[in-house]
Amino acid sequence: MDLKKLLYLGLGGAVLIAACQPGAKRYQLRGQVLDKNPATNEITVNHEAIPGFMSAMTMPYKVKDSAVVQEVEPGDKIAAEVVVAKNGNDYWLEDVRITDESGRKTTPVPAPAQRIAAGERVPNLPLINQDGKTIHLDDFKGKAVLMTFIYTRCPMPNFCPRLSSQFAKIHDDLEKIPDAYAKTHLLTVSFDPNYDTPPVLRHYGLAYLDNDASGFAQWDFASAAPSDLRKLADAFGLVYFEQGNQIAHSMDIVLISPQGRILKYWAADWTAAELEDALRTAATAPPGVQTVQTGRVQ
Amino acid sequence: MNRYLPLSLWCWWLLVGASVLAFWPGCGDRQAEHRGEELFQQNCATCHEAPNPELKKQPPKLEGLFQSKTLPSGALATDEQVRKTIIKGVGTMPAFDQRLSTEDVNDLLAYLHQLK
Repeated sequence: MDLKKLLYLGLGGAVLIAACQPGAKRYQLRGQVLDKNPATNEITVNHEAIPGFMSAMTMPYKVKDSAVVQEVEPGDKIAAEVVVAKNGNDYWLEDVRITDESGRKTTPVPAPAQRIAAGERVPNLPLINQDGKTIHLDDFKGKAVLMTFIYTRCPMPNFCPRLSSQFAKIHDDLEKIPDAYAKTHLLTVSFDPNYDTPPVLRHYGLAYLDNDASGFAQWDFASAAPSDLRKLADAFGLVYFEQGNQIAHSMDIVLISPQGRILKYWAADWTAAELEDALRTAATAPPGVQTVQTGRVQ
Repeated sequence: MNRYLPLSLWCWWLLVGASVLAFWPGCGDRQAEHRGEELFQQNCATCHEAPNPELKKQPPKLEGLFQSKTLPSGALATDEQVRKTIIKGVGTMPAFDQRLSTEDVNDLLAYLHQLK
């Protein structure tokens, strides 16, 4: 068999495998590219409603073909297929076609924030927790802190509900290890302070703490005044902006050392086990030997 | 004879036809169900139709919701209770008060009633 035949056979096989991914669902997407990140092979798309998958919104998508990320530019209108894996946790774009280039580079894209580098001190801005109490990141010195950002109205299962569910898993695991529980803290910060008032955050937190309010001693749900929140978000590289009746946002998780310094960032690729391991390691490592890791840049 | 008469007659019959259809028993309901189905696909199916092991609690399937006396939460399966659940959220289900209008929720209820 000559090389050409082999190549065709290989290509045919690849197409067949791609087309026959067991249980994968496919949906048609139409929208406008707002941003692209060749480092992570992602494009952020402001898209129309995708019947059966999600309502109209802006969110980042991984793209199977890295050449596509090189080709598209912010402002381009595209059509593509959203492929959702059988387990529902993984999704990406395939068959991306640029349908209109006339708006290229003319779309205003939110400026990416310059976040604090790993090893730097965290800002000590005031937050208001689920009990209406003012707290600061400095209050948790001596404990390793795992922090993330959500808004309670988020309807996307793979975004805020996933973050809170996986934090709940970490909380439940740590609760069984008193020493680790005492040396760690979880912090969920809402970037929707007008809606996520302390009572709303308390109600939300209780749902993830199996209605056991004692869990708030180890896991705070907080928000802040809008100006402080923007400073905090910029410090940690979180991007969020209102879009219609919802909030488009990036996913960010931050690990802070017991000395109040950034240890690591995560964006989308993480597991609860990985976060928990990193948190427990940070809590038990002696001061001065904390390993600063460079997280993936969103 | 007025040359516009045939056209006006057609318009008249069109108007009568549309009025009859609008008041035909069940026609309005079907429109609400159809719109409710679209809203369901956009807002509810992502969680209720797609099991996600990474969520703390699996959102229940909603087929036959009103065939049972009680909702998955244990509350009575009434329009009022389902409306409250959609608007305010329950447990880990988020509130949809900022996303859905009263009319949207009415249409969703119409769709959920016929979902078997």
